[in-house]
Parts: sequence; structure tokens; C-alpha cells
Amino acid sequence: MAAAALREQLNTLLSSMFASGMVDEQFQQLQMLQDDGGTPGFVAEVVTLFCDDADRIISELAALLEQPAVDFDKVDAYVHQLKGSSASVGAQKVKFTCLQFRQLCQDKNRDGCIMALAVVRNEFYDLRNKFQTMLQLEQQIQAQQ
Amino acid sequence: MAGAARAAAAQRRVVRVLLVEDEEIHRVLARALLKSAVGGGGVEVDEAGNGAEAVRRVREGGAGAYDLIITDKQMPVMDGHEATRQIRGLGVTTPIVGLSSDCRQSDVNAFLEAGADDFTPKPLSKEKLNRILAKFNLA
Repeated sequence: MAAAALREQLNTLLSSMFASGMVDEQFQQLQMLQDDGGTPGFVAEVVTLFCDDADRIISELAALLEQPAVDFDKVDAYVHQLKGSSASVGAQKVKFTCLQFRQLCQDKNRDGCIMALAVVRNEFYDLRNKFQTMLQLEQQIQAQQ
Repeated sequence: MAGAARAAAAQRRVVRVLLVEDEEIHRVLARALLKSAVGGGGVEVDEAGNGAEAVRRVREGGAGAYDLIITDKQMPVMDGHEATRQIRGLGVTTPIVGLSSDCRQSDVNAFLEAGADDFTPKPLSKEKLNRILAKFNLA
């Protein structure tokens, strides 16, 4: 595919991510830092760190919530961490679900936390798929330059 | 003339920042933002992964080792509040800015009571960083 068509595909993808609220202006700031600072690969680095962190935290949360006696302080600390990472990358929907998740932790609501984890997981998987497509398109565009 | 020369020298000066943060994603973002926001001679970013490491670096570097300290709240080993208290206990007057995604008034006050000069909510952004740098004459 020609570079112009790939770029158009990338722009459409990014527009839909912003329009759906999946990402916010913080993600735009990462793109600007990459473009203005002349640091190619910066967005990919931050996105990869976020996806690795989120994957690990979601696994830890699932294990904690399976315990007969849930340590809600530990659960809350992990959700706090995920909220921070998602805010830094501009993953708005993941961040919002983390805010609700934290409230359920503070209420020590085990069933609520299990449901919140399912929502966080879904939001994260959706976003990760989009990020992966975005990075693949960027690589293809770079390969043609 | 001397004033202009001093201003020019200040503009060329390297700004030394101690970034206290346990998570890589936040460190990567803060580094990029600092490099983008600081003009003149540029920025040197030293990093500590927890509060105890930050206190050690400040103690070893001496009172004037850094122009700015930016510290997260929640970290392993020693949190940002305790690190701020201990750094102030060393007699260091370097501006300290607390950083957290918990930004209720009680979170802000806890940092200020520990001895921080300012607080900014996560995520760090260019706008927030510019405000901090301007406040402490580091822009």
C-alpha cells in the first residue's frame, strides 16, 4: 500500500480513538513530544511500557481477587498504579474505569471489584488492539520512506 | 550590561533535576517533557527509584546538587512525603514539587506539610511543567 494511503488509514484510526474517548489530549501530547523533539519511537516506547504494565497489573489483580481473603489495600495499590500509567499515556477509558474500581476497593466490595476488573480488562484489550494497529501502520509508513 | 550577562549566563545554565519516581513509564514521560521544556543550556536529569535513594543522592551531592526535585508520592521503600521530610532535615532548600494522581486537598497538604514547595497532579504535562519551571525561575 502507498505511504499516503497508509497515513490516511493511520489518521482515521487516531481520529476514531479520540472521538470514542479511548484516548485524550495527553496522548496527543506524546505525539507532539515525538514530532517536536525529533525523537522517533517515543510514542511506541511509552505505549509499549503502558501495555506491559497493564498486562502485568491485570494478572496480579485477577490473582488477588481469587484469594479467599482479598487484600483490598493491595488491590487498591495496583489499581492506583494502573490509573497512573493510563493517565500518562492518555488512555482515558481505562483511567475512568480505574477510578470506579478504586471506589469499589475502598468499599471492600469483592463482587464489584471482579466486575470492575472485567471492564478494565475489556477496555485495555480494545485499546491494546488499536495501539498495535497504530504501531504497525507507523512501521509500514517508515519502511516506505 | 552585567544584568544582561547574568541573564544570558542563566539562560545557558544547565538545569539539574532529581526525578524521584518508581515507574518507568512516568520517568520516560518526565524526561521527555523536561528536555522539551527547558531552554538555554538544557537539562540534566538524575533519577531515583524511591525516596530512600533520593535522600541518599541529595546527601551525597550536597545542598546545591540540584535545582529542582520532583517526587512521586507512592513508592516502595520510602514514599515521597518521607523523602521530602528527610531532604528538608538535611537543610536542603532546593524546590521540591510533589507529584501524584491522588490530588485531593489532603494529598496536596500532606506534601506541603512535609516540606514541599508545590504540588502538581499526574500526569505531568508540558503546561504543568512550564508553570513549575517558571515559578522557580528555571525556564
